[in-house]
Amino acid sequence: MVNLKKKNQQLGLSYGELVWREFKKSRVNIIFLIFIIFLFCLAVFAPFLANDKPFVIRIDGQLRFPIFKSLTVSNYSVFLAAAAGLIQLLLIYRNRKRIDPSIRGAVLFRQIVVIATIVAAGIILLFIFFPRRLDATDYKSMLASGGATDAVFAPIPYGYARTDLEVREEPPSRRHWLGTDDVGADVLCRLIHGSRISLSVGFVAVGISSIIGVFIGSVLGYFGGKVDFIGMRFVEIMMAIPSFFLIITIVAFFPRSLFNIMIIIGITSWTQNARFIRAEFLKLRNQDFVQAALSLGLPLRSILFRHMLPNAIAPVLVNATFGIAGAIFIEAALSFLGFGVAPPTPSWGQMLSLGVSTTGRFLWWLTVFPGLAIFLIVLAYNLVGEGLRDALDPRLRRAV
Amino acid sequence: MSENDVLVSIKNLGVSFYSEDGIAKAVQDVSFSISKGKTFALVGESGCGKSVTALSIMKLIPFPPGEIVSGSIYFKDKNLLELSPKRMRTIRGNKIAMIFQEPMTSLNPVYSIGDQIAEAIMLHQHKTDEQAWADSVGVLKQVGISDPERRVYEYPHQLSGGMRQRVMIAMAISCRPELLIADEPTTALDVTIQMQILDLLDELQEQNDMSILLITHDLGIVAERAHKVAVMYASRIVEIAGCRALFDEALHPYTQGLLKSLPRLGVNKKRLDTIPGSVPEPLHFPEGCKFHPRCPLGNKDNRCRSVEPDLREVKPGRFAACWRVQGYQTEKERLEYGTKFGK
Repeated sequence: MVNLKKKNQQLGLSYGELVWREFKKSRVNIIFLIFIIFLFCLAVFAPFLANDKPFVIRIDGQLRFPIFKSLTVSNYSVFLAAAAGLIQLLLIYRNRKRIDPSIRGAVLFRQIVVIATIVAAGIILLFIFFPRRLDATDYKSMLASGGATDAVFAPIPYGYARTDLEVREEPPSRRHWLGTDDVGADVLCRLIHGSRISLSVGFVAVGISSIIGVFIGSVLGYFGGKVDFIGMRFVEIMMAIPSFFLIITIVAFFPRSLFNIMIIIGITSWTQNARFIRAEFLKLRNQDFVQAALSLGLPLRSILFRHMLPNAIAPVLVNATFGIAGAIFIEAALSFLGFGVAPPTPSWGQMLSLGVSTTGRFLWWLTVFPGLAIFLIVLAYNLVGEGLRDALDPRLRRAV
Repeated sequence: MSENDVLVSIKNLGVSFYSEDGIAKAVQDVSFSISKGKTFALVGESGCGKSVTALSIMKLIPFPPGEIVSGSIYFKDKNLLELSPKRMRTIRGNKIAMIFQEPMTSLNPVYSIGDQIAEAIMLHQHKTDEQAWADSVGVLKQVGISDPERRVYEYPHQLSGGMRQRVMIAMAISCRPELLIADEPTTALDVTIQMQILDLLDELQEQNDMSILLITHDLGIVAERAHKVAVMYASRIVEIAGCRALFDEALHPYTQGLLKSLPRLGVNKKRLDTIPGSVPEPLHFPEGCKFHPRCPLGNKDNRCRSVEPDLREVKPGRFAACWRVQGYQTEKERLEYGTKFGK
C-alpha cells in the first residue's frame, strides 16, 4: 500500500482516462456536461425547489416539517438512487488511491453489486413499508389566517398539481416567474418537475435499447453466417417500420403510463445499436487478440462481453447520447399529442400543447419556456454525444 | 522413439474451406507426431496450410467457412476432434497454448497485461485474484521482462513489439502447457529480437519440458532449433525428416529447391536460386503431384501428372511424397507403372 501512488503513476492511463482527457479538452463539452448534471440535480431535488408545503412551519407553537412528510415513496427512491450513484463515484475515486490496481476491477465489480443490491432492496422495502399519506392541509391559508407562523417555503412555493382558477393563464409576473397554465399551476414549478420525466424517459429508454441492441448485435456479429443473415433481415424489418407511428399505435392500446412509454421507446429503437455492434464485432472477430483469447480457452461469455465489447462499445455510447435526446423528443411529441403521461403529472411536451388555450388565445410563455427546455436538453445531449464521439475516435487522438 | 514419448499425433488431417467459388482443400492428408519435450517445425510458403494445421490442433478453425473434414488429432490418449467444446476449452490455454505472429495486435488494448495473464490463470488453475496476479509477475519474470512488478500494470500500447511478444509467450506458458504452438512467432520482429525470442522459447522448453510446434517459413530458424521438420507444400506434407538429415540431404525436389534458394556463407553468387512458378491456389490445384508444374526434375513423367503421391517412409526416419525419390515406389507399383505407361 505504501507505493500505491507510485504504482498509479507508473500504471499509465487506462482507456477511460484517455477518453476523459480528450473529452475535457473542449470547453463546449464541459459546459454542456455541467448543464446536464445541473438538470439532474434539478430533477432529483425538484420537491425541495418547488413545493407548496413549507420546510418548516410553526403551528400552535409547535415546529413542523410538512415538506418531508409530503414526500412520496418514489421521491425517496430517487434520493436513494442518486445517493448511491454519488457514493459509487466517490468509491471509484477512493479506489484509485487505496486499492491495488491488480484487484481494482474485481473490487469495483463487488462495490457495484453491493450498492445496486442495497438500492434495489431499499426501493422494494420503501414501496412495501412506506405509509401512504396525503397531506391536504393548505398551509398558506393557515398562514394567512394566522393559524401558523414562521414558515419557510421552497423557492417556488407552488405544487405542480395546484389548481387555482383565479390565476389561470397569467403571463410571467413577480408571483409566477414563468406564468401559469390553464388551471393556474405555476409553469416554472411544472418545468422543474417535468425534467424528471424527460431525464428518466431518456435514460431508461436508451438503457433498454442499448442492452437489446448490444446483445443482438454481438451475437449476430460474432457468429456471422446464417445467424447473421437471418438476424439482419429481422433487424431490417424492424427498421422499416416507422417507429413513431408504431409507438402511437401501441400507446393507444396501453394505459397512459410513463413506464409503458419508456419500454415502448426502448424496444423500438434498438436496431441502430444492433447494427453498430454487429459491424464492430464482424471486424473484431478476426482480430488477433480475439483469436488469442480463444486460444487461452476463455468461455464465450468472456470473449464476447469482456474482450470484444469494450473495443466495440464506442459507437453505442455515442449513439446512446443521441438516443437520449431522441427519446426525450419522442416523449415530448407523444405528450404534445396527448398520448403521454396523464395529467397532473407534468411533462414538457404536454405543457407545450397548452400553448394555445381553449379560448383560442396564444399563450407564449407556455410555448417558449417548455420549448426552450426541450431544445436545450436535446442540444446538450447532442453536443456531449458529439464530443464523446470525437474523444473516442482513435484517429483524432494523439499517440500516447 | 517409443509410443509413450509421443505427445500429439495427427493422422490424415483434412481441412476444407467452403466458398462460393468452390471447396478449397487447405489441408489434405496431413500426418505427423510431436514428441514430448521436442521442437517440431512445420515449414512452408504462405498459404500452404501451416497455420490451418495449427488452428486445427486448437480446434479454432472458423466454422463457417472452414471445417475439419477428416482425420484424428490425438493429444496423449484423447482425440481432440471428438471432445465437446466445453472439454476443449479446458485444454486450450491449459494443456495446449498458442502464440501468434503479430504481437502488436495480439493483446487486448483495453486491459493491462497483468489482467490478461491473470484471467487465464484464474480460469484454468482456479486461483484468486491476488494469487493470479502474483503468478503473472512470476511468468513475466520468466520470459525475461525487466521490472515485472511494474510492467504487469502496463497496457499493451506502452510496450514495444518484442516486449509484447514476450507478454504473449508469458500468457501462453502461464498455465504450463505441454504443447506450445508458435505460429511464426518472430516474423514481425527484427532480427536481434528474433534471436532473443527463440532463445527464450528454447529455455522455456527446457525448464517446463514442453513440446513446441514451430511454424515458420524461415529455414534458418528451423536449422538451429528444431528436432524434426515437416515441409508443407500446397496443403500436403511433402517431406518429414530429422533436422540434421534434412539439411544434409533433402529428398523431395521442393525441399531441395528451398534449400538451394537460401543464401550461404562463403558462396559468392550474384543471384540466388529460385523455384520457378508460384504456389497454386487451393481452388485450382493441379492434377497429380501438386509440385509437378514447377518440378525441376521435369514433368514429362505421366505418373507425376496424374497420380498424387502420398507420404511414405523411404528410408528409416525419412518420409517423402515424390514418385521420383529413390525407394518410394513399391515393387508392385513399379511393375504396374512400367506396364501402364509403357516406359
